[in-house]
Amino acid sequence: MHELYNFVSGPLAWVAGAFFVLGSIYRLVSMYILAKRKDGSSLEYMSLHYSLRSIIRWLIPFSTMGWKADPLMTVTTFAFHICFIAVAVFLSGHVVVWNTAFGFDMWSLPTQAGDIISFVVIAACAIFALRRFMLPHVKNVTKPKDWFALTLVVLPFLTGVLAYHQMGPSLLMTTLHILSGELLLALIPFTRLSHALFTVFTRAYMGSEFGAVRHTRDW
Amino acid sequence: MHKKKLTRTLAPLAAIIAVMLIYMAPMAFSQEDMVVVPTSDFNAPERPAAMFKHDAHNELAGLEDCVVCHHGKTDAGLIDLENSSDGESCSSCHPVKPENGATPLMRAYHLQCTTCHADALKGPVACGECHKK
Repeated sequence: MHELYNFVSGPLAWVAGAFFVLGSIYRLVSMYILAKRKDGSSLEYMSLHYSLRSIIRWLIPFSTMGWKADPLMTVTTFAFHICFIAVAVFLSGHVVVWNTAFGFDMWSLPTQAGDIISFVVIAACAIFALRRFMLPHVKNVTKPKDWFALTLVVLPFLTGVLAYHQMGPSLLMTTLHILSGELLLALIPFTRLSHALFTVFTRAYMGSEFGAVRHTRDW
Repeated sequence: MHKKKLTRTLAPLAAIIAVMLIYMAPMAFSQEDMVVVPTSDFNAPERPAAMFKHDAHNELAGLEDCVVCHHGKTDAGLIDLENSSDGESCSSCHPVKPENGATPLMRAYHLQCTTCHADALKGPVACGECHKK
């Protein structure tokens, strides 16, 4: 068990990080080449002003028609993404990892708050899942790869909560937690989770297209 | 007369207490009664203190040389395994917030314990194994 833990918390963490960084570069570069080949003229219309206008507008909850149309999804999606980043980077247990491994001395969430927002992430994932089951217009476009992405996201949180509350053998739960986190990180560029890389560019494209070509808003 | 009687009663009592104190002094300074890693330097610890029975640990780990944990510091500022710092508290060299570039106390504790356990393939390494609720 120690051997597995050492491997998972050591070399495998670097492998997962390399997959994430190199995979992200690969996906972004190959997507740029594809866009240039298939829709070269759109690149000429890309505008920083209209891009930022769209990105900032869509970063504000309920400030777009899209966000107003589905309030539950809007609240869930904002809560999910904010809590996800907060837990991943600032959870006190994670800050201890950054401190022990790299010597960083970072601000961390109070332990209790970290626990609560981990449950917020799990609840948000449950709502995402129920939505895919229950709403026909979502169900009809749901494919196995969507369930795979959702599973990848929820696993580190489920195992993390179990490890933190010391349910089950601590070493095993912690090993599974790290493993599922690494799987998530490594597969972000290669699954539906790649929206983390592409959203900003999709938004920039839409903003530029609507702003510079159609002379209208995209929200 | 009354005062003399009081002295006669108190003198042996005082002697017994004095002898007890002399015998107990080394015990107070030894780490036999240590059950957790000392945390009094931390302002508001977020986790329960890590369980650590000093003598039982060393017996189990087969540690006889103090310097393995109570290391010194070389001129270059690195870990010195020749000169022991036995008898000094960890925080005397590793304050919680050092200003001289020393390793902070929490990091020193985490590195000291988990590195050794990971290398030895024995002992607690995951968070919840030491910081038990």
